[in-house]
Amino acid sequence: MGMVNALGRGADEIWPHLTRGESRFRGRDDLVPDRRLLLGEVAGDLPAIPRALRRYACRNNALTLAALEQIESPVRERVSALSPGRVGVVMGTSTSGVGDAEAAIRHRERTGELARDFVYDQLEFGGTAGFVAHLLGLTGPAYTISTACSSGARALASARALIELGVCDAVIAGATDSLCGLTTNGFSALQVISDEVTNPCSVNRRGLTLGEGSTVFLVTRDPQGVQLRGVGESSEAHHMSAPDPEGLGAEAAMRAALDDAKAAPGDIVYLNLHGTGTPLNDAMECAAIARIFPEPPVCSSTKPLVGHTLGAAGAMEAGFCWMMLREGDRDGLLVAPHVYDGARDPDLPPVPLAARGQRVPRGPVMTNSFGFGGNNCTLVLEGAPA
Amino acid sequence: MIATRVRSWAAWSPGLEDAASWRRWCLDPKELECHGRPDAAFLPPMLRRRCSALARIMLTAAFECCEEAERSGVATVFASRHGNINESIGLLERLAHGQPLSPTRFSHSVHNAQAGLYSIAAHNQQASSSIAAQEDTFASGWLEAATLLSRAPERPVLLVVGDVPLAATFATLVDEPEASYAVALLLEHPSDGRGVRLSLEPAAEDPHRLRWPDAVEFLRWYESPEPRLVLGAGLRRYAWERVGS
Repeated sequence: MGMVNALGRGADEIWPHLTRGESRFRGRDDLVPDRRLLLGEVAGDLPAIPRALRRYACRNNALTLAALEQIESPVRERVSALSPGRVGVVMGTSTSGVGDAEAAIRHRERTGELARDFVYDQLEFGGTAGFVAHLLGLTGPAYTISTACSSGARALASARALIELGVCDAVIAGATDSLCGLTTNGFSALQVISDEVTNPCSVNRRGLTLGEGSTVFLVTRDPQGVQLRGVGESSEAHHMSAPDPEGLGAEAAMRAALDDAKAAPGDIVYLNLHGTGTPLNDAMECAAIARIFPEPPVCSSTKPLVGHTLGAAGAMEAGFCWMMLREGDRDGLLVAPHVYDGARDPDLPPVPLAARGQRVPRGPVMTNSFGFGGNNCTLVLEGAPA
Repeated sequence: MIATRVRSWAAWSPGLEDAASWRRWCLDPKELECHGRPDAAFLPPMLRRRCSALARIMLTAAFECCEEAERSGVATVFASRHGNINESIGLLERLAHGQPLSPTRFSHSVHNAQAGLYSIAAHNQQASSSIAAQEDTFASGWLEAATLLSRAPERPVLLVVGDVPLAATFATLVDEPEASYAVALLLEHPSDGRGVRLSLEPAAEDPHRLRWPDAVEFLRWYESPEPRLVLGAGLRRYAWERVGS
């Protein structure tokens, strides 16, 4: 797995910040008029897109490349042993290169013409997967999933299914989102962005904090390593930008993931919440958890650490689970803490929130992703059999 | 790969609004229209008002393809190369002028807006995916539908593929057959093995250029006696064959 986000680059750099519950948000006032936003931005220069693939040059693909570079040698080694037509790419995104299109359109509004280096491949959703396929010379299926905030989780689900179907022997799967004017202004207009760092499950929660980043996995049949054991999906049939207040869609996705994993609720040792910190999300998610789990597992939202990375979040939070499972030992799993102001909302059904340094027994973990448009996807991951 | 059966299909393009006119068109194909959108009178007015042209076209094909009783029980895949990018471009133009965005327009511009609208209009709470894959969008949508079928073989998958021409700002940057259209295919797992099988092949040296979008090429083939269809202009080719018949 390769990862880049506001906490750093690569599992080794991110893991200590994740488990200590440290965040790195930065204020920006150049994205939304008359508003300063705290953002989980990736700091520093990003790798340059190779010249031959210049048509894919945009911040979104540079973030993908920053994550992919971390696993490039094992990926190339693995791929060279397989036929390139048997290796697929499934990437999630909600932004693709729209941030670079904003600059092109501003240029056009000033000069009457698009910036000369603007190419449609940067902007189109399919380019997020197309870039990876071209970069690695893969000729298996390559497509982008864009189901808003569940995109990254769905990408992993589809990667597993393409292997099970026999279409692919390996799949590069993950998700990337980049901060841009469209999403910051759009979510600001929806009045779901908090002025302070997001504060999930708190009585003082006021909304989400946006972030960006990329996570990529090499998904194979290998029984060693972390396993994607269960996938559960549902649609809300409720509203385009708000979840069902009862959390029925969230509940259906979690129950389906347990069924698919052939796991009982009591087997789950940790749950990574969707936990956006909006009043509605946390209420419906906790209600759904309380209905499923007679004794809910230890939970945390990692969005107070990296922000809500939208289309990238599902893969990133699966990546955090991957790190917890990989780092686990006989004494159990060290899990990411739930960082908030500690003023738990008394109206929320009680779910145990992870403290700093909290350990749980070894076992399967769950991660929730609930998207705009009512698209839900829950994954169950488990460490390699001992 | 496993075979898939097309239980039913429906399509919409301006002037081609029912199965009979599509069957005539398949025998004697002409240019497809780029402008126009369906009434979508089956949608509640509140939802219909907020639909992009593409959403109206894709939902019209989707509703036409399924019997009313089927609509809530199918999994869905909405595949579109450009999706609602024209709506996003409109939002970006507002941003370039420092104007605020409408929250409703923003939430209806996302790539999975069609899927969300379908879920609400058809009271459908099943698994749903929305994809894009440049030149290979139709074939990738088919594959994504196959992944959903593999997870629940008893549940059919409604695959809806469609696009409208790109806004003038970007249209010159893309070389493709332009049309406003959607094709909906209700795909199911064939209990007797009879159906259509998709396989991947290496790219051709010199891919031939198509006159119609891939999904429409598929429909033309499906309604013909030809045994095999090959599509794909990029790194790979996709071949469909009839099996078990």
